[in-house]
Amino acid sequence: MIEIIATAESVEQGEKLLQAGADTIYIGEDKFGLRLPASFTGDEIKTLTQIAHHEGKQVGVAVNALMHNERIKQVLPYLRTLEEIGVDWISVGDPGVIHLLQTNKIELPFVYDAQTMVTSANQVNFWAKRGAVGAVLARELTYEELKTISEQATVPVEVQVYGSTCIHQSKRPLVSNYMHFVEQANDTAKEKGLFISEAKDEDTHYSIYEDMNGTHIFATDDINLILHLQKLKDVGIRKWKLDGLFVQGDTFVDIVRLFVNERDAIMNNTWSVEALEERAKQLHALHPKGRGLGTGFFLKDPADIK
Amino acid sequence: MQTKLKKPEVLAPAGTLEKLKTAIHYGADAVYIGGNAYGLRSRAGNFTYDEMREGVAFANAHGAKVYVAANMVTHEEDAKGAGDFFQTLRDIGIHAVIVSDPALIEICATEAPGLPIHLSTQASATNYETLNFWKQEGLERVVLAREVGMNEINEIRQNTDVEIEVFIHGAMCISYSGRCVLSNHMSMRDANRGGCSQSCRWKYDLFEMDEPMGKTSLLAGDPEEAFSMSAVDMSMIRHIPDLVEAGVDSLKIEGRMKSIHYVSTVSNVYRQAIDAYCNDPENYQFNPEWEDELWKVAQRELATGFYYGTPEEEQQLFGKRRKIPVYTFAGQVLAYDADTQIATIQQRNSFGVGDEIEFYGPQFKHVYQHVKEMWDEAGNPINVAPHPMMVLKVKVDHPVAPLDMIRKRK
Repeated sequence: MIEIIATAESVEQGEKLLQAGADTIYIGEDKFGLRLPASFTGDEIKTLTQIAHHEGKQVGVAVNALMHNERIKQVLPYLRTLEEIGVDWISVGDPGVIHLLQTNKIELPFVYDAQTMVTSANQVNFWAKRGAVGAVLARELTYEELKTISEQATVPVEVQVYGSTCIHQSKRPLVSNYMHFVEQANDTAKEKGLFISEAKDEDTHYSIYEDMNGTHIFATDDINLILHLQKLKDVGIRKWKLDGLFVQGDTFVDIVRLFVNERDAIMNNTWSVEALEERAKQLHALHPKGRGLGTGFFLKDPADIK
Repeated sequence: MQTKLKKPEVLAPAGTLEKLKTAIHYGADAVYIGGNAYGLRSRAGNFTYDEMREGVAFANAHGAKVYVAANMVTHEEDAKGAGDFFQTLRDIGIHAVIVSDPALIEICATEAPGLPIHLSTQASATNYETLNFWKQEGLERVVLAREVGMNEINEIRQNTDVEIEVFIHGAMCISYSGRCVLSNHMSMRDANRGGCSQSCRWKYDLFEMDEPMGKTSLLAGDPEEAFSMSAVDMSMIRHIPDLVEAGVDSLKIEGRMKSIHYVSTVSNVYRQAIDAYCNDPENYQFNPEWEDELWKVAQRELATGFYYGTPEEEQQLFGKRRKIPVYTFAGQVLAYDADTQIATIQQRNSFGVGDEIEFYGPQFKHVYQHVKEMWDEAGNPINVAPHPMMVLKVKVDHPVAPLDMIRKRK
């Protein structure tokens, strides 16, 4: 079994994603989770969880923010709410949340997700010993490294197969600070479509936006591993995430469907080069114009990274 | 009647053995250094085991401590040999290691029991539950994220008894430390394994997407200002009472790559300020000379980061920079003869007869000297000291002491 995990921007889109074949919907509230397509209320999480469970599917909830005191005080009631709703798991990136789960005996399975900081099997296993049922691997890992980690990790690891890659989180309002300096007013939210380019390389395109968790910057190319899914399966990576942060509505549902179909073809031995190439072509057509697609660090040689 | 306050530790960076000794001589209670592996400053001076032994012996003789930063976020092969490394550090007598990677924490705890572990700022600890988690894991100290404010520190102190360390001076990451891989993606250098190419300090264009494919530059200003994330440096010299009252255990100065001029100056200043406050809090007054002194080794403007609110544009390097007085490190006193009033000096940067030079030493001692007479090592009169590291003699009007430093305004 290979699990397709997809973010959702609304209950309606979540339902469509389940119909398209996603196994798990990944959502959350932006006060506790990072870089989500939309912030879900408790009621919305409950509704979508009930719908997913009705179809024998799962909901994971992002509780992976770096929490300051004000936030960590609010997280305990939130965890209790999620436990009561019966979400299937949460992601956690701040050990303070793990401490709260342990000391308050909250029965919520968690996967460890500290973004850039999860880079080895020994790290994954450290968190597994503290109760993690899985871990989300950093995007800066190569195939060779993913392979070793997957072999040596004691819990399943999750890899992103489609979507944007965050490469920087600052607590400072970096865009607002610039705008104030040059005495301009500008909306700095994600919807504005802001990006920065290296002065020396105008082909670079780093999306940037601000929200309540600070400023976020993204890699030039979004991740697309549709051509390499067989390799992931072969090394035992069975949790594939699609992140719809920069893709809206039915377009994202269609993209998820392509990955579901490719997954099914691999699992059912109905795989063909022609079908894969057709899906890859469709994916490029669906992918938002103006955003790049690439394989990130997947095909890089670990020795080339200094 | 107030009892004497508990003094927080002054923790200084030491890229080399010379810097380690200098920092301690100038008042640091502890220094942090790098080993040959597992650190984040691959280009900073790093210590061999023999140098560590000498550093620990020197520190112990002066009642000071030596910590080793091993704060790399490891990939598969990187943690190899870490057990032996930590055991060796423990046996050398290193007082603690600074680690962020949980895999390294586990190796250290199981293979080198007895070696205290401090959580690096790289792990971005920002709340008291996180500190309680790490305390339960057996860590002795947590270095807080640089995003934590003074009110938050007070609250953290009230809710945990693990030791707290905070950065009080030097350059800062603009991101949550560890949560930035700009360098990985822009120049194939891993920021979390010592390769950071400081992409945050580069210049960028800023655009808005226009439907369907166009883009509009949002750069503005006259002259046009590039977008940058570059931050000014931190200095908490005006706020020592807040840090002491908050019960912070250790006050950290950034800069393992910096010179002995920097290390001696900054250690000296914070030593003075902390002693002044803790010895007599009621009559404490901030001394503007401390700040003037810090400016003499500043690279950028100085601000308080997140301590008193979210940093705004004035804490980023936009526009015209404030002119910083530039001082060069002129030399170090090797010996002083009180009878002849002649100081023997090892030169570091050229100076000569007619120059105004400034001697400074521990306890914030300052001696200003107009150079009137100078000789080379053989006793021949000279007008300038042109050769790096050359030994020379200078007549001085006021007593100086070995290990005093000399600087000159450019």
